[in-house]
Amino acid sequence: MPATQFGCYIRERREKLKEKDNSFSVRQVAGRIDVEPSFLSKVERGEVAPPSEAKIVLLAKELGEDPDLLLALAGKVSSDLQAVIRKRPELFGRLLREMREMPDHAILRLVREVRDGLW
Amino acid sequence: MIELKKDQLVFQFPDVHADAELRIDFQRTLRIPDDGREYPLPPGLGSFPLRHVDDFAESIPSSWISHGGVMLPMYQSEALWVNFSGRYPFAVKVATGKINAVTGEAWKEALNRDPQDYMSTSEQPWLDGYCVEKGVIRQFVAMPLGSGYSAEEQITGEAEYGGLQIVVYPLKGKVYERTRRWVTRSTLGSPLFSKCMRSAAPDMGLAPGGRMRQEIYDDSFDLDDWDLRHSGRCFVHIANSMVWRDITGEKPPTVPPTARSYSKAGLPWFDFYSDNGSAVDGSDILSKLKSVVGMGAEKGEIPLPENESVKTNNVVMLRKGLRKGQVREGRF
Repeated sequence: MPATQFGCYIRERREKLKEKDNSFSVRQVAGRIDVEPSFLSKVERGEVAPPSEAKIVLLAKELGEDPDLLLALAGKVSSDLQAVIRKRPELFGRLLREMREMPDHAILRLVREVRDGLW
Repeated sequence: MIELKKDQLVFQFPDVHADAELRIDFQRTLRIPDDGREYPLPPGLGSFPLRHVDDFAESIPSSWISHGGVMLPMYQSEALWVNFSGRYPFAVKVATGKINAVTGEAWKEALNRDPQDYMSTSEQPWLDGYCVEKGVIRQFVAMPLGSGYSAEEQITGEAEYGGLQIVVYPLKGKVYERTRRWVTRSTLGSPLFSKCMRSAAPDMGLAPGGRMRQEIYDDSFDLDDWDLRHSGRCFVHIANSMVWRDITGEKPPTVPPTARSYSKAGLPWFDFYSDNGSAVDGSDILSKLKSVVGMGAEKGEIPLPENESVKTNNVVMLRKGLRKGQVREGRF
């Protein structure tokens, strides 16, 4: 369940940071991303659905995490990626499915080369 | 393979060696006066934006699609220098309008030693222009293709290619045994300057501008040390900045400061020394080219605005291999 997975992850990350820095309390982190502390607490416990994309991006920045990772844990896809896929949905759908089983090093080889032509 | 990353061409040859990577970018710079005097190296003002030509197929000349490669924007009479970075040695051949910038000869792909028609990046950190004399280059200055100023047009009588052409060859993996230090030429932010420009034809060529002290170093490797079985080449088209937004939808960089305003502000120029490098002779072909101002005088035109001579009092010496904190020898 995304809510629980997302909540557990951010709680774990936040508490790890709080071990060294008290400014990572629920209250202070909630204040910095402009949500109620009780709401953040419920999110961490999986009692409510993850917040909006904008809040997740802010939270990622706050916790030093990759926004795409937190969005994925929350069952969301960032709006810029959605726009990329919407532009060519069939092509990207096929591409992503074909890449599902590919090892990381093979995916990293899928880079765009500068095309040479006839001079 | 060649990738385009953050306005840099990245050449990689993992089959030759894991370290075999060369990055090339094109630095915006101020145009030195074309007044017959020799100037030190101007600064870098940041990289020109580079874009795949394929992304703008509907708004560029069909010949650009045929050539492939990338494109960058330049204003008429703007200057550039080519910046090489990476610790793995590469042999690099640079041409403008398919005229070799070191020898003045027509484009040939293999490496030649007599005369040397390429640069070794282990000695050469950058190239600012055409090698017209030993230790002297004439700065690359953009002029509209077809106006008669470019090196290509002066030598071939044709305005066919324009742009820049680059081919690189890595050192053979087994020969690669030492790393070398690289010096970095200061790059500055780009101050806002505005100036009315004239022509808006899309295709630009490079022409010889003012004289600058810069050596093209002899290759310290044997010709056989270069891996000629592996190479990467790229055609770099130059679009007039006046039409860059129409082509790409992006705003081109601002016009660089003049040499006069730059020098007046006390900002630094540069000289580069390599203790163990000897320089190639200048090209007879290139030495006969008319500079932009010289050609303009023949045509009854004034192609370079704000071409007044400048004093370059603040010259920073860069020496190959100089370590941070190492005491630099000055001029006695």
